[in-house]
Amino acid sequence: MRDSDALENNPHVSRSALEAIHGQVYGWALSRCDFDHATAEDLMQQAYVELLSGSARFDNKSTLKTFVFSVVQNLARSRFRRISSRLRLVKQYQQESASAVAQMSEPVDDGVWRAVRALPARQRDIIELVFCRELTIEQAAAVMGVSTGTGRVHYDRAKKALRSRLQDWSEEES
Amino acid sequence: MKDTDDKLREQISRAWARRVSDRQPPFDKTWQIAQSRHAALRRRYRRFAGVAAIAAAIVIGLNALTSTDEPTYIEVAELLESTYWSAPSDVLLPDREFDIYQDMPVLFESTEPAGGALL
Repeated sequence: MRDSDALENNPHVSRSALEAIHGQVYGWALSRCDFDHATAEDLMQQAYVELLSGSARFDNKSTLKTFVFSVVQNLARSRFRRISSRLRLVKQYQQESASAVAQMSEPVDDGVWRAVRALPARQRDIIELVFCRELTIEQAAAVMGVSTGTGRVHYDRAKKALRSRLQDWSEEES
Repeated sequence: MKDTDDKLREQISRAWARRVSDRQPPFDKTWQIAQSRHAALRRRYRRFAGVAAIAAAIVIGLNALTSTDEPTYIEVAELLESTYWSAPSDVLLPDREFDIYQDMPVLFESTEPAGGALL
């Protein structure tokens, strides 16, 4: 880490290190807000503000990537906790109608995506963190705020569910 | 098992990447906005701290202006010349005045025990 671009209020974090993981963090932020790009951008900016101000202080106890993922996760949780109860009913209705439309319009290879979306939230999160964000199960569990054992259980169940769903769909298609 | 895991991983990361990579904002832009938001936040905090300090100064000033209870000190000579004494400026003390020759002897001459000791 170059000292010159270390943050004033967060000496163990540098601008270049954040830049290196920007894409991964954006992907994580995007899936935190149901793939709404504007909200994800805002979440990213807010996470960087937390790091700049030192409200979220990195002390080298984990990797920077795990830490920034946790910051995004916590920000998303606190942001959506306030409005989730109001939005839940609307979202449920939207998802029902959207999934009906999506099933008709999505290309065949999006079956994988549908299988992922059908997973419970925690299983989906750990699959994303391990498969797409290249974290270990231990790191993913830390980001999600669960124990490593619980993380492993979610991971195994998610893999089993995905395999069986993908197999079912491939049989249906053939 | 390893092969199927790798295949699943590849399928999923490909499906995920399609939804993420197309509109990823450039780091520089996000960083710049974050910096300006941070600067705005600091300005707001500074302004708030300034207003709080001014308000505190006004309250203290008004309090000092409206206070009519001038602090006074016990004059030893004055006290010795008179048999009459009252608490000088302490507004918290009860408004009790006594004549030392009328009231005090009751206490001095008391032989009533209180809690095993004489008063």
